Amino acid sequence: MEFNYLLQFLLNGLVMGAIYAMVGLGFALVYNTTHIFHMVYGVIYTAAAYLFYFFLQCHFGVLPSMGLGLVGASLLGYLIEKIIYRPLHKKGFPLVLFIISSIGAMIVLINVIALIWGNETKILNPAISMVFHLGGILITDMQIYQFAISIIMIILIMILLKRTKLGIILRAMRDDSDLTSSFGVDILRMRTYIFIISSFMVGLAGCLVAYDVGMDPYGGMNILLISIVALIIGGIGHFEGVIAGGMFLGIIQALVVSQISTKWAESFVFIILIAFLLLRPQGIWGKRVREI
Amino acid sequence: MAYYLHILIMINIYILLILGMNLLLGYTNLLSLCHAAFYGIGAYLTVFALMKLNLSFFPALIFVCAGTVVASLVISLPSLRLHGDYFILVTLGFMMVVFSIMYNCVPLTNGPYGISDIPRPTFFGLIKVDGIPGYALLTTVLSASSIALFKVLVQSPFGRVLRGIRDEEIMVESLGRNVFFFKVLAFAISAAFAALAGFLYATYVTYIDPTSFTLDESIFILSAAIIGGTGNIIGSIVGAIFVIIMPEIIRAIHIPDTIAPNVRQIIYGMLLIILMYFRPKGLLGKYEFKK
Repeated sequence: MEFNYLLQFLLNGLVMGAIYAMVGLGFALVYNTTHIFHMVYGVIYTAAAYLFYFFLQCHFGVLPSMGLGLVGASLLGYLIEKIIYRPLHKKGFPLVLFIISSIGAMIVLINVIALIWGNETKILNPAISMVFHLGGILITDMQIYQFAISIIMIILIMILLKRTKLGIILRAMRDDSDLTSSFGVDILRMRTYIFIISSFMVGLAGCLVAYDVGMDPYGGMNILLISIVALIIGGIGHFEGVIAGGMFLGIIQALVVSQISTKWAESFVFIILIAFLLLRPQGIWGKRVREI
Repeated sequence: MAYYLHILIMINIYILLILGMNLLLGYTNLLSLCHAAFYGIGAYLTVFALMKLNLSFFPALIFVCAGTVVASLVISLPSLRLHGDYFILVTLGFMMVVFSIMYNCVPLTNGPYGISDIPRPTFFGLIKVDGIPGYALLTTVLSASSIALFKVLVQSPFGRVLRGIRDEEIMVESLGRNVFFFKVLAFAISAAFAALAGFLYATYVTYIDPTSFTLDESIFILSAAIIGGTGNIIGSIVGAIFVIIMPEIIRAIHIPDTIAPNVRQIIYGMLLIILMYFRPKGLLGKYEFKK
């Protein structure tokens, strides 16, 4: 009985961890290559979920609505890069201005969402999900979808990074963006791709989670915090590390929820962050490098 | 009359908050997202000092500022040794955690119900400041003396080191200054300013609840500091006046109350984006952001 209980939470943690790993990888894609502290990232998560909700209300069916939500999220990522980051990038402004601009865009988008759809939590799927019994533990159909889709997405992105020309360019940008552009790579176009891919990933997570538990305009902030903490746990500059970091956070959260309370899940993420910064700021896989 | 005095009091409180933010952003080049957390910690410590410990004005104020400075060390000690982005992240996380504690720790903070009937403080157990005119006077005196203190601070050798860190951190380090120590100190002073603002807010409104101390509030203070202009004192004062007067203008042009807060936030967000493109130092700012 006790053992089954623990297994159940481990399973829930793995499902949540897969989602966190996916959003963390999306954030890492942006941060490692462009060094932008992409605060809008969390809002894209929410925006995708709301678009999904909007198209569901218009009776488009689940899959087409989700597809349209994802197209919307990618478009949003594209526009943010085009309207907000690119002009600053062209002027060669320091990164702190990108962050402030990003915060500006974040509050604009959150409040636009709140103006259109209201501040209260929205439920997308009123039906009770199907439950499967696996030995002593329970798993819902939504959990299976969440886990499977996240893992497939992560594998696709890792193949993209390791096996394709685009991936080689992205990894080169991670190491030295200026040097990469001197080899004739169109950095601006690469940045556009990066923002579209990462927005698609976080939008996918938004749709998957919202369809299960609903959403409100501020839900994305949590995801933003978790993505960044996952990146730090895994080590900045690593694409593999952040996946492990996300999984780790998901399992820790599930344990906190089962043993203490849902209310303190956020606080534990913060404690883990502080512990890592004090003990191992370079992350699990990172090498110790002095910043200049 | 009472209405204008109320606006004056709020401007005074926000001058304190924005000065603290300006010390970080405009003088030390640190971007913090948890200023409202210190504002909130200050307000809740005030409640504790006045209602549980029954302190009078000055002991309560010292208690509140000292407590908030200790809280600031939780962030500054682990994160300020590291690259700048870590600091922003830790302040973001701290903001969310402090809100979560204020909201969920019902036995300690009364959670979402808030705390009402906060007493007004007394000077030496004799003179009690009460009423809106009294508070207008008190906050004006305190914010004016804080401005004076701030001016002395940034013109002192300490302020010069901070500006050095802002402009050329490695140079300052090579001149034998302990950059980490100065950053921690600047962060602590900025937290103390926010705590003073929290003290005044809690005793003026006599009711506090967690929704006054959210991430939105931190971003609001940040926007105000940037809109006014970073790196000088006049900018902070103008920023405070601007952000307090603007909601009144929105009310005057008859935007319904239900959407007014959202409209206000959208305006601040747009202003931030536009300012970053055309005038990153803010309207009256002196300091250009550097790498």
